[in-house]
This record gives sequence, C-alpha cells and structure tokens, in this order.
Amino acid sequence: MALLRSIRNGIQALRDNRARNREIEQELDSFLEESIQEKMRRGMSAEAALRAARVEMGSAETVRQKVWSAGWESTADAIWRDLTYTLRRLSRTPGLALVVLLSIALGIAANATVFSIVSKFLLRGVPVGNPATLITLYRTYDHGQCCNNLPYPVYQDLREQTKSFSGVSAYYELVPASITSHNDAQRVWGQATTENFFDVAQLPMTAGRGFLPNEYRSPVIVIGYRLWKQRFDGDPALIGKSVNVSGHSYTVVGVAPPGFRGLDQVLDPQFWVPLGVLQEITANSPHEESRTTQWLRIAARLKPGISQAQAQQELNVIAERLDQAHPETDKNTGFHIERAGALPARDKQTLVLFLVALAGVALLVLLIACANVANLLLAQGAQRQREMAVRLALGATRAQLLRHLLIESLVLALAGGVLGVLLSVWATYALSSFRLPVPVAIDLSVQIDWRVLLYSFALSLFAGFICGFLPAWTASRPVMPNALKGEEALARPGRRITLRNLLVVAQISLSLVLLCAAGLFLRSLEAAAKIDTGFRSRGIVMMAVDPQLHRYTPERSVQLLSVARQRIAALPGVLSASTTDGVPLSMGHRSDGFNVPGRPKPQGENVVELYMAGPDYFSTLGIPRVAGRDLGEENPTSTRVGVVNEEFVRRFFQGTNPVGHMVNGAGVPYQIVGVVKDTKSRTIGENQRPVLYRSINQTIASDPSQDGYTFMVRYEGDPSALITAMQHEIHAMDPSLAIFNVQTMQEHMRDALFLPRLVGTLFTVFGVSGLLLALIGLYSVMSYSVSQRTREIGVRMALGARAAQVQAMIVRGGMKLALVALLIGLPLALAAARLTTSLLYGIRPWDLATFTLIPTLLVAVSLFACWIPSRRASHVDPIATLRME
Amino acid sequence: MPDQPTDLIQGTLDMLVLKTLALEPMHGYGIALRIEQISDGAFRVNPGSLLPALSRMERAGHIKGEWRSTENNRRAKYYVLNAKGRKALESETRNWGRQIAAINRILEA
Repeated sequence: MALLRSIRNGIQALRDNRARNREIEQELDSFLEESIQEKMRRGMSAEAALRAARVEMGSAETVRQKVWSAGWESTADAIWRDLTYTLRRLSRTPGLALVVLLSIALGIAANATVFSIVSKFLLRGVPVGNPATLITLYRTYDHGQCCNNLPYPVYQDLREQTKSFSGVSAYYELVPASITSHNDAQRVWGQATTENFFDVAQLPMTAGRGFLPNEYRSPVIVIGYRLWKQRFDGDPALIGKSVNVSGHSYTVVGVAPPGFRGLDQVLDPQFWVPLGVLQEITANSPHEESRTTQWLRIAARLKPGISQAQAQQELNVIAERLDQAHPETDKNTGFHIERAGALPARDKQTLVLFLVALAGVALLVLLIACANVANLLLAQGAQRQREMAVRLALGATRAQLLRHLLIESLVLALAGGVLGVLLSVWATYALSSFRLPVPVAIDLSVQIDWRVLLYSFALSLFAGFICGFLPAWTASRPVMPNALKGEEALARPGRRITLRNLLVVAQISLSLVLLCAAGLFLRSLEAAAKIDTGFRSRGIVMMAVDPQLHRYTPERSVQLLSVARQRIAALPGVLSASTTDGVPLSMGHRSDGFNVPGRPKPQGENVVELYMAGPDYFSTLGIPRVAGRDLGEENPTSTRVGVVNEEFVRRFFQGTNPVGHMVNGAGVPYQIVGVVKDTKSRTIGENQRPVLYRSINQTIASDPSQDGYTFMVRYEGDPSALITAMQHEIHAMDPSLAIFNVQTMQEHMRDALFLPRLVGTLFTVFGVSGLLLALIGLYSVMSYSVSQRTREIGVRMALGARAAQVQAMIVRGGMKLALVALLIGLPLALAAARLTTSLLYGIRPWDLATFTLIPTLLVAVSLFACWIPSRRASHVDPIATLRME
Repeated sequence: MPDQPTDLIQGTLDMLVLKTLALEPMHGYGIALRIEQISDGAFRVNPGSLLPALSRMERAGHIKGEWRSTENNRRAKYYVLNAKGRKALESETRNWGRQIAAINRILEA
C-alpha cells in the first residue's frame, strides 16, 4: 500500500513537477511569514524580524532542493535529466555514437544468434505437462556405453517391473506415411507410440484426445498442429473424421498442441499413430517379439516424490535381473535416464561442446567490441577533460560524474543491443536456411525467443558497464591544474604504455585469432567442395516416391518403378534415368556386416554400405566401371547380384578380381557381377568405405526402404520443366502417389557441405566483424594521438621536418602497435587452430596459406587505418598551430 | 555553553514531529516553534531539516498535509497525524526508551 502510494505520488510529482515546486515554495513562504510574525510579536522591528528569519532559514533554494530530494522521484528526475543531456550530447557527435552503436550491435548480434541456438536445443523444454518429472530412457551396452534404443520385450519388462514411474510409454522415432487431404497425397513423417504415450506426456491437446487404453491396434491418428493448420485448414470438425493414411482409413482423434514435435529436439514428426498399427502402414517395421532389434525410445513419468537418482537405482537393479534372465541378449546392458526434451543422448556431449565453443567465440567478438568502445570513449573522455575539470571545480562530486558517464555508455550499449537483436533476427533467419542432407524430417530452425531477449539485455547492460566504467573512471579523475588550462590531463606522468594502446593491441590480436579461424574454415570449405565424390554432382534431378505407402505389393512396386523409369527416360532432355533407395552423402544409409566365405577376415571394419540400383545407375551418376557388368532389370527371383566398389575389393578380396564370387551380408548371399570406382558414401570428408550396390528389383520385397525410392535423372536444359514433366508421368500412372524429396544434385551437394559451410560462414562473419572493430579502434587511437600532438607536429615542421617525415612518424607509431598485436596474436591463433582439426576437410590446421595471407592482410589494413590520420598530420600548418600558443 | 540551542540528536526529529502533531494539527513553523518552546530552547529545528522530514513522512503516509488558514488569516500547510503515524510514534517512542535505558546503563556502569 505504502509503496503504491509512494509510487503514485512520485509519478504525480514528476508529471507536474512545476506544481510540486510551487507548493514547496508556498510552504517555505508561509514558514518565513510565520517566523517573521512570531519575531515581531516578541518585539522585533519588522526589518530586524525579516533579517533574523532569513538568517534562520538559510538559502531558500537549498531547502527547496532538500524537500524535493526527500522522495524517490528526485533521483529519477536527475537520471532523466542526465539521460536527455546524454542524448543531446551524443547527437552532437553522431559519428562516434554510430561507431559505438555498430560495434556493440555486432557483438550483441553474435551472442544473441549463438544463444538462440543454445536456447532452442538446451534450454527450451517440450510443451508437455509438468516437464520436470517426464524423462526419456535409453539403453546402454558394454557396461554403460551410451546409447541405444530398446527392443519391445525390454520395454514390456520395464513397464511391468518398475515402481518408480506412474507410467511408462514407448515410441518409434520416425515413421513415414502418405496422408491425403483435398485429394492430394503428401509424404510426411510421424511417430508410432504406445497407447499411453499422451497420458504419460500429459500433453495439453489442442483438440480431441490422445489414445485410449484399448487402442493399441486401432486405426486412429493424432495430427500435429502444423499439419492440421496447413493441410486441413485448422478445421475443428476434423476430429472424428477419417483420413487416408498410406492407403488405410484412420480416424482422427486429436490434434497435438502447437510446438509439439515429439520428445526429441531435432526431429520433426507431424502425426502420431498407435504402435500396433505400424506393420499395417509401413513396409519394413521392426518385429515386436525380437529382443535384439533396438528400435523404441521410452518416455516415463516419475511418481511424485521419486527422484531421478532413485529411479536410476531401481533401473540398475532391473538391468541386473534382465542380464541374468536373458544372458544371450541382455548381457552387460543398462539404462540411461535423460530429461525429456534433451538432445539425443549419444551426440549430446559433442553438441554441447560445439555450442560452448561457439558461445566463447561470440563472447570474444563482444569483448573486442567492448575494447573498441572503451577506447573510443577514453579518447572522447580525454577531449572532455576540461568540461570534467570545470564541473569538479564547481562542486560536482566524482560520483555524479561517474553516474553521468556510465549513463552515457549504458544508453549506447542498450541502443546497440536493440540493433544487435534486430541483426540477429536476420542472422537466425539465415541460419535456419541451412539444411542437413538427410531424407528424414529434422527441425533445425532457430528463432529469437524471450530467453534470447533477456540474455541480450543482460549482456548489453554488462557491456555498457565494462566498456563505460574504465573511461568514466579515468575521465572523472583529471589532473586538475592541467585540465583547467586545457592541457593533457589524463596522462599520468611517467606512463609510457597507455590503456588505449593496450586495448588496441588486445583487439587486433583477438581479431587475428578469429580471422585465422575464418581463413582456415573457408579454405576447408574450398577444399571440401573440391573433394572428388566419385559421382556426377550436377545435371541430375532427384524425385522420390514410396509405392509401399500406397498399399503396393513388392511385385507391383517393382513394376511401377520400372515402367515409370522408362517413361521418364523417354522424356525430352533426359539423357538417362535410374532408380535407387538412397542418395549418397546423406550422412548415413543402410549398412550391414559382410563376410566372404573362404576368405580371411577383412582388415578393419567389415561394415559395407548398401545401395539399391536400377538399370543405368552407374552411367547416370557417372561412376566408371572397372570390371564385370552393370546392374540391369534383374529377375527378382533369381540369384541376388551385386556390384561392389574398389574399396570393397581391397578390403575383402585383397585386390584380386571378385567377379563371380559369392559374398555374404547379414546372412544374405550376393553374387558379385561387377566392380566400379569408389564414391563417397556418407559424408564428403570420410575415408573410402566399401559399398555394395544390389539390384532394386531383387531387394524391394525382402528389405524395403523406409526412405522410399528415388528416380535419379540426368538431364540437359531446364530442370524445373523436367520436374513438372516427371511429376506428370508419375501421376499419369497413379494420381494418388505422394511425391517427395524433389531436388537437384547440386542442391543436395550444397546441403552435404553443411558443416564446413556453417562454420565457414559463422567464422567469416565473426572474423570480419572483429577485424572491422579492431581497425576502427586503431584508427581512432591514431587520429586521437594526431589531434593531441598537433602542436608538437607544428613545432617539428617549423623546425624543418618535411610532411613525409611527419607522416612516417605517425604511421610508425601505429604500425608498432599492429606488429606487437601480430606477435601476440599469431601464437594464439596457431594454438586455436589445433582445436579445429576435427572440423577441417582436406587441409591441415597449420595451413601455410592461411597463416601467411591473414597476417599480411591484417598488416595491410592496419597500414590503411594509420595512413588516414597520418595524412591529416602532414597537413598541419605550423604557423597556425604555433599562433595558437 | 549549555544555554545555546543545539541541533537535534540524530534520528529523533521524526519522533519529535510526530509527538508534536499528536497534540493537534500544526503547520511547519508551528511545529518548529513548539519543539523549541517545550524543550525550553534547548533544541532548535531549522526549516532545512524540518520541511524535508515532513515531506518524507507525508510520502510514507504517517501524516497528511492540507492547506488551511492560520489565526492570522494566512494560508499554511497544516499536518495531521493519522493512524499509521500514531503507530509509528508508539514504536519509535518504545525504541527510544529502550535506547535511553541502555545508554544510561552503560554510563552508570
């Protein structure tokens, strides 16, 4: 109450501060009047009474001030006055204000952008009810190695045996389906969950409900919010209606809340179906009875009062029990608990490390920016030393001056922060356009949220303080006699290394580190783009269908793919066309352990990458044949044939001709009919892996693909016209087929360079901002020193120094700083480079080109930054400066 | 010089003002005069500390100010003690008593 009143009265006083002052004055007048009356009553003369009363009261103005300062509003008023004064002063030096603003904006933008990634992947939870007690479970192997998914029987054991949880549910991470709306089929990814999933997650449904206990095998579906809005127009009447899911009729029972993308942070599922219907809608679903197929993730709800540690203890006991009951499958396995919504347990550490490193770099940029701003303000403070001295001499306290100067830097920092957040809105937008080259649904988009705003605000305040305090402190302590005379008053006698020089050196060396990193990553990007993938990287269009999502039998699928391929190959502009189940460089595809009967075990790993291939696959992708024949329209029922790459031959056949031999992959025999050159399989930077291409006709029935089947078409001319024509051909055969993953090989290659492109871009932005900041710093220090030394230069010139000599003197002074910075920064950069080794493609961390080019560049631009002020120095008119004395 | 008026003891002004106002509503000069008279001229309250104190207490809601006419038919701001101020006076008086007792004990020890 009292606080409220105080605030109300204060605001009133502030709003009408003239009225408040008038009231105080009136009260003072009446006080004086009463005092005079009283004194006259005691017998004083009117004149004497007036004088005595005046003396008693002292300065009326002081009393008025004191009364006014009794409330909080006076402080607010003073700060407000400082603020307006600051703004007026800043508007008089717009150049300086702009540079400071931009510096801080760059620093804040870097941090806000990195923090928006942190916020999305580490801080933001999932929109479930009571997220603190919801956990996800993984299975460990080999005494605690992290992490695998769980087989269904193990899930059942957990559900029956645990007492720590009020509910245990399981889900299959990603299931493709074709969902039809408005007569248009679209392939989307979703999840299959146990019937209790929505109850365990306590998901606040947007409409409808989750699954009922008896719906484990019922044809029901929960639609994701985005899918509901985009494909079903957000129609609330959709609940209870049936939709076509991969050729089956499913009843929509609920709509998930906005922002819910399952319990894993990176996946982007858009529908949920009961686990029991998996076999019906997908071609290759894992077997529920198998105790070795690890495919389920567990979401469980802790009972009230049970801690995560207690649950872990119970799980350990259960793991022990399972180890004994099923020694052949569950030996040495255990369970690992993660908070729901955490990053995937296996990659968590790497990702966290990467983000921490990134955040460190962003802070470095901000530090450079702060050093820059501190420097500019220092120089400016030096120019204002006379003003400071006068104010001190007139009785201002040092605290008042400090407050004043700090307000100035805080205003600048906060304005810079606002600008920085705007910049990072753009930066996060640009970042969100990076895509992983994988065929499944992944959500990597980042946005500015309230956490980022809060963080940026705090960081701006912090930046304002650290870059304002030092200059404010020194500026508020001028050497008084000097300052009043208008001479150098901040330089303490006998100090040769000034703070300003130190800051500039620090700035330049830090930005050297960043620039070297940027140089390395750009070189690595260049090297990565030049890596020979072994296949044609342009002039290919890709388009996928999955007939098995439309109730096609394997035989009909083979027929459809074969006929569609022939029809597409006959289109104008098409050179050749083939079919496959997966595009190379998609960060991992199918693979199996192989052995060759009658041959020694291979050197190194026996894992072989498996790709399905239709006719003309190698000619379409431009992979040269070494021996044997290509794959054609193979007979699905005859002996399985395969074509292997040279690495396969090296590893399993020690370089001898394998054609005609039988090899064995996970129990399936293949006869090798040909050998082709090596290609990159998972990522651009990898070492060659052994690959076996198997016939698509012979594999669809026994080992169908989850990713559908892709037509790869080599073309001449305009790809967009071709894409339309291809879609037309496919829909001419079956208009209900969903077409997806349409892209050119060039687009796919750009996505495949995801990592080098991402770090290259980030560091280039960071490095260039750092460089710009450092140069502005160097420039401002040099031009300040020129302005300080005008008189000295005038004297020198009067004594016969030539303009060129003066100019050289100034440049020498600046370059000394730059060279010292180089000497400090280079070892730091070399040390930092060692840390980047694992992120580089095709070049070594101590890359000669980078480490000669970047320092040279730095010296060149430093020279430029010194040259501009030095020109001004050489134009000093000795007569004019000496006359000023 | 014991007859010379002295400044108030630190921190007692509010209490004395509240006590004075407990008798009847008064304007600023009246309060100063009353304190000076009752203390037999020992304490003199100057407007430089009295008026800010009044403003502060008004803001805190202990007293309420209103403009009235004086006996000389002039306008002055009269301050009225309210319930909250009465409570504050009680607690400050209690505190003061405790402090005086403690100081006395120390001096007599």
